[in-house]
Formats: sequence, structure tokens, C-alpha cells
Amino acid sequence: MALAGWTDRRIVGSLLLATLAGGCARSDRIVIGAKNFTESDLLAEIIAQQIERRTSVPVERKLHLGGTFVCHQAITAGQIDGYAEYTGTAFTAVLKQEPGPGADSVRRLVSNEYAGRWQLVWLEPFGFNNTFAITVRQADAERYGLKRISDLAAIAPRWKAGFGYEFLERADGFAGLARVYGLQFSAPPLAMDLGLTYRALADGNVDVIAGNSTDGQIEALRLVVLEDDRHYFPPYEAAPVVRAAALERHPDVRRALSELAGTIDDAEMRRLNARADVRREDIRAIARDWLARNLP
Amino acid sequence: MDVLRFYGDNSREALGLLSQHVVLVLASTLVAVAIGVPLGILLARRPRWRRPVLGFANVCQTIPSLALFGFLIPLPFIGGVGARTAIVALVVYALLPIVRNTYTGIVGVDPAVREAGRGMGMTDRELLVMVELPLAAGVILSGIRVATVIGVGVATIAAAVGAGGLGVYIFRGVAVVNDTLILAGALPAALLALGADGLLGLVERRFVWR
Repeated sequence: MALAGWTDRRIVGSLLLATLAGGCARSDRIVIGAKNFTESDLLAEIIAQQIERRTSVPVERKLHLGGTFVCHQAITAGQIDGYAEYTGTAFTAVLKQEPGPGADSVRRLVSNEYAGRWQLVWLEPFGFNNTFAITVRQADAERYGLKRISDLAAIAPRWKAGFGYEFLERADGFAGLARVYGLQFSAPPLAMDLGLTYRALADGNVDVIAGNSTDGQIEALRLVVLEDDRHYFPPYEAAPVVRAAALERHPDVRRALSELAGTIDDAEMRRLNARADVRREDIRAIARDWLARNLP
Repeated sequence: MDVLRFYGDNSREALGLLSQHVVLVLASTLVAVAIGVPLGILLARRPRWRRPVLGFANVCQTIPSLALFGFLIPLPFIGGVGARTAIVALVVYALLPIVRNTYTGIVGVDPAVREAGRGMGMTDRELLVMVELPLAAGVILSGIRVATVIGVGVATIAAAVGAGGLGVYIFRGVAVVNDTLILAGALPAALLALGADGLLGLVERRFVWR
């Protein structure tokens, strides 16, 4: 699909966000945004609370804004000052690079491009990699001996896939995956809401979905993630992305956020997500609890 | 004008989604009429049921669509993913205006007219078909009209459970912030709603006498 007309979209997108966010980011405060899923909200809440407890800068939260592109529009338009982004997502979906290189070079390239093009700073990553998780039911994985995505090719013609719209549209999404692994499903994948795909998989309406590897539902719903044995997906290391102007204005914010570097690994993130998604705990309480315990 | 170019490049897909959309709205409205009109008549006969039934229809109206889909997916027969689930949800949303207007229309028939019918020896059934329904037709049809127009808009959420329709363009557009795609779904949905409103307005004028 054509992704042209970037400038028009930026103008319309900013207008949309201006009404959505209700005014501009004021200089005396830091506005933290998040994408529209639990992990992004959680990381934003951790970032926000860390700023609040280490500095005197007031923090405003604009959580659950929309997908990657909405957050990107918001931060480049100055509607938000920071949010948690993933290196691989920035690399493929925002910068439109072909998937391929390893973790370090992806991070370096993304960081340079963001600084040059939009005056946005990538801080040190949190320490986990939230990759797309090609997920099947555990019972099916055992019956058909599925461990890797390449095992899927043989059974795909008899199977039905269900994916979220972002995965279907992205450069590092379904089209490339199908090409690299030679996947041919019985019908074109069902396009549906990402959150509903887990339910549809668990209830047998579809047989394979693309979730996120740190999602809490994977263990709760007895699902299995297949290994990306051909390394199709780039690394998706989460890190705070903050406007350079905001960091210059508040140097103590950078110091506060640097404490978060390398503090959350994959298992820890999955646990935090499960507390929110499976045990329905309040995101603020989870963040407060985690910060008090890990960064006293 | 990007939208027109987009249709030029994707005309088959766009027409397919448009027809899916029309089918979703038609099917759900027909089912909602088949359930809602008899239910409205029943409420007019049994006033005690009015509050709980209309209250229930009101509550249904407020369930967020994604939550409703979440409930429906695990259910046998009416659940799963695809068009059937979407139609069930759309019926749920279309019921309220149809039930309420049918009830209001029939209750609003002048008691003197009803008495005159009885005086002529009409049975309950004859009274309903020959007196009450024709007199209430305007109100009932306007309820169906409202339900249809709302349905055209609401049917865009069918795209969240893999049922297709014009919502596909909207969801895809929102996922990648592509305004052309969003408009490619939203514009024809708006035109469809206007068209349905106009058409049912004609039907209303044609069949209603006062």
C-alpha cells in the first residue's frame, strides 16, 4: 500500500492529535505518551513515576494514544515529550528500512536517524526484546511437533491465521514473514483487532496469530510461541524516546531515566504484563510497586 | 483526491468491501426488524414488561463493541469470528430504536379508533393488522430508518472480528496513520448512510397515511 503523502498526513495527524490530546505540551511539564496496549502503558507509567520521584518536574500522562504511527506523529509534533518505543519498530515501521541487521546496528542506526531527523533522543534500552510472537495453541504444538516457524510451512495450507491490522500493514509484518518462511494458509489471514486474536486462538476460531512475546496471555491461555529460526524479525528492544528539547530543559529527567537502563528482562516484562492483563491489577500500582522494589 | 486515485488502483477490493458492508447492514437490520417489531407489539400488550425489556435494550446499546465481540467469540452458534458474530452484534445495537418505536407507535393509536374497531366486531388480530399497525407504520418505519442509518456507521466495527466491510480501510488506516485509507472507508460509509436515510424516507412517505 502506498505510504506517500507523509507531509499531508502529518498535518492532518497533528490536527487530529491536537484535539485528541487537548492542547500542547507546555514547557514547564513533561508529557509522557503510550501506545494503545498494556506494555506501552506500563512502561509509560514507570517512566512517568520515575520522573516524579526523582525530579520536581510535573508529569502529564497521555496513555493509550494509538499505534506506533500515532505516537510518532504526537512526539514529532511536540504533543508528547516521550514514550517507550521499540528499536525494530522504529527501524522498519517508522524509518522504513528492510529487516536484516543485528541488534546493535539497528539501535545505532535508529538512534542516529531519530536525532538527525526529529531531534529525538533514544535513551538506554530497558533490557528486554518484545518481538512478534508467532503463537499457536500448546495442544497443536505438541500434536504436530511445532517448535519453529519453519515447522509451520507444512501445516499452514490446512490452517487459518488471524492477525491485527498493524501486523498486516507493516514492512516487518505478514507479507515478509510469509515470503521468508514460505507460508501459504488455507485462506488470506483474517484481519481483526489485535486483542481479540488471542481469544480467537484460544477458542479455536483461528490456528495461528502474531502476538507480542512479552504478553501475559501467552502462558495464561496455554499458548506456545514458535522460534523465529530464520531471524526474520529485527530486535525490538524497548527504550524511552524523548524530545531533545525536553532533556535540555530538564537535565535531571535524563539522569532519572538512565537508572531504568537494563532493569527489565523478557521474563520480568511478561510478569508485569500478566499482572495487568491476567490478574487485572492497576497499572499505576504495578509501576509504583516495581519502582519501589527495584530502584529504591 | 488521493482517495479517488486509491479507488482507481483498488476498485475490486473496494467494491468487495462495500458489498460486504451492505450485506452486513441489510442482514442485521432484517433480523432486528424480525425480532424488534413483534417484541414492540408484545410490550404494547403487556405494559409490565416494558421497563425490563427496554431497559435491557438500553443497556445493550451501551456495551462497547470490542467488549461485545470478546463475549461473543467463545459462544457456540452465534459466536466465533467472521460475519456471523458481527451481525449478532449489529442486531444487538439495532434493536433499541425498533422496539421502542414499535411500542410507542402502537400505544399512540387513538383509543377511540381502537374502540371503533372493537365495536365493528374485530378480533385482536384484525385490530392489530388492520388498525394499529397501519396507524403506527410511520413511527415504526422511522425507528427502522434510524436503526439502519446507525447500522451503516456501526458496521465499520465488523472489521475488528474479521467480518470485512468498509471498516477494514478505517482499521488499516488507523494502524498506520494513513488518512487516505481512513477516508476510503469513512466516505463511502457516510454516503451509504445518507443513501439509506433518503431511501427509507421515501418508503416512509409512500406507505404512511395520516
